[in-house]
Amino acid sequence: MDELAFSASAGLTLGVEIELQLVRAHDMDLSRDADDLLARLSKRKLPGAMKPEITESMIELNSSVHADSAALMHELEVMRQAVVREAGVLNVRVCGGGSHPFHDWADRRIYPNERFRSVVERYGYLAKQFTVFGQHIHVGCPGGDEAIYFTHMLTRYVPHFIALSAASPFYQGEDTSFQSSRLTAVSAFPLAGHMPFVSGWADFLEYFTTMKRFGIVASMKDFYWDIRPKPEYGTVEIRVCDTPLTTRRAALLAAYAQALCAYFLTEHPREPSRSVYLVNSYNRFEACRFGTRGDMVDPYAGARKKIGDDILETIALIAPHAFRLGSSELLEELAAGVRVGESDAAWLRRRYAARGSLADVVRDACTRWEQGS
Amino acid sequence: MIRDFLPALPPVLSHAAVFGALVIVGLLAGEAVRRYASLPRITGYAVAGAVLGPQGVNLLTDNMLFDLRILVDLSVGLIVFELGFRLDLKWLRLNRWLLATAVAESAFCFWSIFGALVYFDFRPVLAAMAAAIGTATSPAVVMLVASDLRAEGQITERMLLFTAVNSVFAYVLLTLLLPFLHLEHKATWEQALFHPLYLLCGSIFAGYLACLLMLRLAAWLGKREELQFVLLVAMVIVTVGVAHALKLSVSLTLITLGILARNLDHEHALLPVHFGYGAQLFFVILFVLVGASLEFSAFNAVAATVVAAYIVVRFLGKGLALLLFGPLSGIRPGGAGLLTIALLPLSGSAVVMVRDTTSLYPAFGKELAAVVLSAVVILELIGPLATQFALRRAGEARPNG
Repeated sequence: MDELAFSASAGLTLGVEIELQLVRAHDMDLSRDADDLLARLSKRKLPGAMKPEITESMIELNSSVHADSAALMHELEVMRQAVVREAGVLNVRVCGGGSHPFHDWADRRIYPNERFRSVVERYGYLAKQFTVFGQHIHVGCPGGDEAIYFTHMLTRYVPHFIALSAASPFYQGEDTSFQSSRLTAVSAFPLAGHMPFVSGWADFLEYFTTMKRFGIVASMKDFYWDIRPKPEYGTVEIRVCDTPLTTRRAALLAAYAQALCAYFLTEHPREPSRSVYLVNSYNRFEACRFGTRGDMVDPYAGARKKIGDDILETIALIAPHAFRLGSSELLEELAAGVRVGESDAAWLRRRYAARGSLADVVRDACTRWEQGS
Repeated sequence: MIRDFLPALPPVLSHAAVFGALVIVGLLAGEAVRRYASLPRITGYAVAGAVLGPQGVNLLTDNMLFDLRILVDLSVGLIVFELGFRLDLKWLRLNRWLLATAVAESAFCFWSIFGALVYFDFRPVLAAMAAAIGTATSPAVVMLVASDLRAEGQITERMLLFTAVNSVFAYVLLTLLLPFLHLEHKATWEQALFHPLYLLCGSIFAGYLACLLMLRLAAWLGKREELQFVLLVAMVIVTVGVAHALKLSVSLTLITLGILARNLDHEHALLPVHFGYGAQLFFVILFVLVGASLEFSAFNAVAATVVAAYIVVRFLGKGLALLLFGPLSGIRPGGAGLLTIALLPLSGSAVVMVRDTTSLYPAFGKELAAVVLSAVVILELIGPLATQFALRRAGEARPNG
């Protein structure tokens, strides 16, 4: 039960995990150099942590805990430079983006460690298909009840995070017509979806204990929810974002999550509502398919609107909190992008239109990541 | 009169039919050794060739081998082109230690063989030529084994890179050694000077022109994989033919084409090449023919010590360089040793190089052949096995590959 003791963190602290694609220089397909790259990186003194992920074509950057998004952005930049330098020694290229545009999932090889082996044993081909790349955002919660409250509140904003981060328009060599095709790979897992409608931390513990008694889960890691409390870190974790094409955008998304949580914590604007979960999968689909141009239903107002408009209204609403957190400029940058309809998915599609081959799209994405924002 | 429509006996088979038959025999032999002996397919191809060849049952006669030489050139052309296409100069720029390792690998290997042969009282020119030939790892073997195992990773990448570098090193060095050979045979100084100059500059220039043309045509065709595949294969065939007609070095011309195609294509007009199943055809035919050309007669007890020394010091030379410089270039611990083993295969085109020399100065060729061709016989059989072992051991082969 110890793993479920909620280790309270200083409220509204910030951290991210970013999964990156490792690409072969000669044909821009995914490589399998995670082990060699991580071995090199482990010899350097770097902030945060770098970890393996399910297949050998990915690595994960974990930031340390930050009070503000500017410090986070700086740290991600330091980590990015280190990864790029060490990857260069191995002739491996690195990029962001939620999916590799044309890799063949069957070619992937599972990273050889105990946990990932058991994932393959359990989930079969889903494990290899899970070679998609996401950004997870952690926001510190003062206690378990707040984590549950944040989870319920943030669910209304799931389409925002999907649309703002969308960077996986291509999958298995095709234009999927989606802005984010990555989440489809996540949805296939039996424990994907969202947290049940629990009222507080005690209620959640009861649910977890039941699931554990049934033998359905062994730990919190087994839930692949869009948003989940993470008692071990004392955070709420947003898991719907595609890895953006730049570290800068990764920090912008984190800043947005932080300001939203500041708004929830200080203003306690709404009570959790079941209606949020009624409209959730509709909103989620619209965001994946159409990005900021998609529709969403605001479960509290009962109104339909464009996701992009809702984002702009929200940014205006939480502006005072962003100001206090020192992230006004970052949120303004995010809003400016929404106004002109810019997104990483759109950028990738433009590269494809200009270049005519998906290998070139990957190469351009690598160049963008390697050169920094 | 009435039987005019019947063929004369025995029927004369076209080269196409011989080609097809060889592929089938090689294919079956390759699969058989893989299935029943867990050996690399290449070994099966070569054994099939050796059995069919002049030294064996003589179904493949010397004359046929000579006629089929164009197929060898074509196969070698495609293979060294693809190898050159994998040589990323940017990697060498970013990782200077890697460049140092590659150069040391070639240089150490050359000097150790040279030293050993001089120790055994071979004339310096002869020793140098045999050493130059020995420096090259067989592009065909490493590429075929890597593709058969679907190997991927740092050891595989470096194996291909070092093979590309030591092949270029060997081609260039052999060419530069020609003047000494000419002078030893009392040729005029013009011949001694201009022949290597012509070979070197001509081959590189031909490769460069072919590259420019290919990039232009690829840009015009657009990013269509099926069209570019045909263009690439056709360009390689044409370039092989031209190099042949101009008496240039096919290998040097084609590896130049490959290297430049990768490194001059700033607009990325060329899509990544995957010769895939098509390449297999050429691999099979190449190794059957190489197997048929193996000179078992060159092998004799007197030469055995020298040949053994040749093989051992070649291995040690490569190993020393990789152990000294490899770790600095970012090879994982243990990787240098595996790489040394992977680089063991001796270039089958050594046979071609020796034959070229033979045609120039027959007596000289024979002396060279005794050593080199015996080493080829041995390394043709154990080389693929070594590469396969190294890539598997490095964990880079696909588990079911």
